[in-house]
Amino acid sequence: MPEPLIQVQDLHYTYNAGTEREVPALRGIDLEISRGEYVAIVGANGSGKSTLARHFNALLLPTAGRVWVRGMDTQDPRHRQAIRRAVAMVFQNPENQVVATVVEEDVAFGPENLGVPEEELRVRVEWAMEVTGIASLRGRSPYHLSGGQKQRLALAGALAMQPELLVLDEATAMLDPAGRRAVHEIVGRLHAEGIAIVAITQAMEEAAQAGRVIALCAGKVALDGRPQQAFADEEALRSLGLDLPLMARLAQMLRERLPGFPAGVLTPAGMVAALKEQALSRGGRR
Amino acid sequence: MSEFELLRNVAIGQYLPRESVLHRLDPRVKLLGTILLMAALMGQRRPAMLLVGLLLVGGLFLLARAPLGHALRGLRPLLPLFFIVLVLQLFFYPHRQAVAAGSPALWQWGRFVLSGEGMIALAAMLLRMAALALVLTLLTSIADVTGLVHGVEGLLRPFQRLRLPAHEVSMVLVVALRFVPLLTREMERLMKAQAARGADFGRGRGGVIKRVRRTFPLLIPLFITTLRRAEELAVAMEARGYVGGKGRTHLVRLRFRPADLLALGVAAGASVGLFLVNLGPAERAVIDWLRHLLSGP
Amino acid sequence: MSAPQPLIEVRGLDSTYMRGTPLETVALRGVDFTVYPGEMVGVIGPTGSGKSTLLQHLNGLLRPQAGRVRVAGVDLSDRRAGLRSLRLRVALLFQNPEDQLFERYVADDVAFGPLSLSLPLEEVRERVRRAMEAAGLPLQVYRDRLTFSLSGGERRRAALAGVLALDPQVLVLDEPLAGLDPAGRRELVSLLAGWHRREGRAIVWASHSMEEIARLADRVYVLAEGRVVLEGTPRQVFARGDLLAACGLEVPAVTQVLLELAQAGLPVRTDVLSLEEALPVLEALLA
Repeated sequence: MPEPLIQVQDLHYTYNAGTEREVPALRGIDLEISRGEYVAIVGANGSGKSTLARHFNALLLPTAGRVWVRGMDTQDPRHRQAIRRAVAMVFQNPENQVVATVVEEDVAFGPENLGVPEEELRVRVEWAMEVTGIASLRGRSPYHLSGGQKQRLALAGALAMQPELLVLDEATAMLDPAGRRAVHEIVGRLHAEGIAIVAITQAMEEAAQAGRVIALCAGKVALDGRPQQAFADEEALRSLGLDLPLMARLAQMLRERLPGFPAGVLTPAGMVAALKEQALSRGGRR
Repeated sequence: MSEFELLRNVAIGQYLPRESVLHRLDPRVKLLGTILLMAALMGQRRPAMLLVGLLLVGGLFLLARAPLGHALRGLRPLLPLFFIVLVLQLFFYPHRQAVAAGSPALWQWGRFVLSGEGMIALAAMLLRMAALALVLTLLTSIADVTGLVHGVEGLLRPFQRLRLPAHEVSMVLVVALRFVPLLTREMERLMKAQAARGADFGRGRGGVIKRVRRTFPLLIPLFITTLRRAEELAVAMEARGYVGGKGRTHLVRLRFRPADLLALGVAAGASVGLFLVNLGPAERAVIDWLRHLLSGP
Repeated sequence: MSAPQPLIEVRGLDSTYMRGTPLETVALRGVDFTVYPGEMVGVIGPTGSGKSTLLQHLNGLLRPQAGRVRVAGVDLSDRRAGLRSLRLRVALLFQNPEDQLFERYVADDVAFGPLSLSLPLEEVRERVRRAMEAAGLPLQVYRDRLTFSLSGGERRRAALAGVLALDPQVLVLDEPLAGLDPAGRRELVSLLAGWHRREGRAIVWASHSMEEIARLADRVYVLAEGRVVLEGTPRQVFARGDLLAACGLEVPAVTQVLLELAQAGLPVRTDVLSLEEALPVLEALLA
């Protein structure tokens, strides 16, 4: 059986450990992420989402417990470059992750760091820019790009490393709806090609699109399952500082009036499909 | 024009994207050529040669297809400095000693004397300042900053064997280039945000302490957000596998072409010439003519 | 009965950023915009549509290059127009306002505005107390709190208190909910709506979030490429899903669902803005 992409065992992490300002952020997390999965991590601010994600690419090392990436222990410095190649990350602020002054040079930054030979560098950079639709911006300065374009640039930079897992740390939080759609569309395509996705998000609607939802509360896993399960209990969600996705709430309201309305509707597409089906079956059409 | 448009006054390199012989040169040659020319100009004492140097730089501007107006605009910020130098040379140069030592007295008014030597030194100083300023303006016209940074890295790379962190140095430059305009934009935003609350940024009233305090609503948040940016950027760089210059490959590979080597040779030759050649006799003739003019009818 | 006098009147406003330089960009073209006392006006538009530029004209940070901006009858083209009274009338809260905090203690930062405008100390104290209350940061609890010890959400509310302390007739908000988690959003919306109702003041709200605008706004302006492309009540504006989509905008999710049902031939109304409004429509469909 192929090893899981990410294995987390009894992970504890404390910021400023050992000092008087120490803040426990993760208090014992066990989980596994398989190849090709699409996982959403949700939780109130301070629940440990980003902290957890940063263990996946060895940006943070456990204060206790262990994390393996493709079987490599993150605490072993010899594996660091390999881990950072396998797990790429896109951060929330489009501005503060672009390094170079020219778009294509920024895309090349990651693979350059990995020592990818020069002919292959060019190939990867071209490919990454094609996939993210920024090839026409190649010679531009990032200063003049919109937020959405900058995030696509960040995605291209991550892709150029040819990762097996792409972590998105609230990557669309600062974008306008058009920018968000563009990023989601690219991420969807990448997932279809087999890249595992971990999306940290505050938008329940985004989480509803994932294959698996993990909800954190005060540094522990409070929920872990398919979106239908995770979003089933509204009270539990509220207590975690979360909410039902909009469509799930509407579905709930409808179920109260019309018992028999299907459960598990979470997305607008799902709602439209369910309504059409129900309308037909109940013969509400002339 | 809004009082908040700070970027208006920050020239992010007055790069003129054109097709010219000079533009096509390897950035390392552009840098080395500039350094050589500047060294020659700084080492040359005689105004005549400096004038030749100035004309040479002017010629380079033509070669770069840069309009003369652009060149002269590069000099404009220096005008106050020129004026100060002029005044200092006129009044504080030891003219009388020079005359006593044999230099011709060009002009006299009571006890005040202008020596030929003093005027030569003044001319040299002004010509040198102008030439240096023009060389730098030329450099920024023919090279965009990204190219220059690649050039710097390229020049430093051979020294990596001697433990010089060439890539780290160029990284510092790149990050600075990337973020200085952002900081300016951030400053503009902060000024607006605080002005919206009624802040009034030091119209110069009150004592020093008061005026310093008045900058806090700008400086403190700017400082904090800048530190935060720096931290986020560092984390992002780490996530993308940055471990310094060792083992890195490069998308942009600088290669010397014959034209580059030729240009470098010409620059070296011109610099040496500028430095060594002495047009002494020509100068003396000019001085004599000036003296003749000023002592007049 | 005569029509109420507008608090803010913008007519034919043009604005160009960095005019006269190679980097110049036209931000606004011929924009007409009105705010009446006590109303909630939503401004939506994609990034780069000129929303922020428009908002910055409302309190005089930017002066009209062409066209007219009048606030409470005072024409802002007149450079002599008193800035001080303007600041006390129209207060602007920028995006990510928590970045502008600088004082050591929260209450001091909230007091910065009134103090800068030379209000008497007693009045400043009272304003700070009321503003912090309105922003959900009661003075008794937060009086001695260090600004930078507050959470992100608390700091945003502290920045809000800072502008509420100006006691404006119009509160202008540039994407006030950006970057907040769902609980934070709910809280801020409720604080703002509460202040709006209690004090009867006008709010201009620029946002990407259609749901809040649909629910709270009395009128909505849609900006695209520096022009007002649509104006009206939320119901009128969100009925034009096609136009909004062309501008890169969205309608509230529930409206979108009904639009798709209608397109599929089902008999449903599409002028629905919230879940509550959608419920009877869908019930009728499925009954």
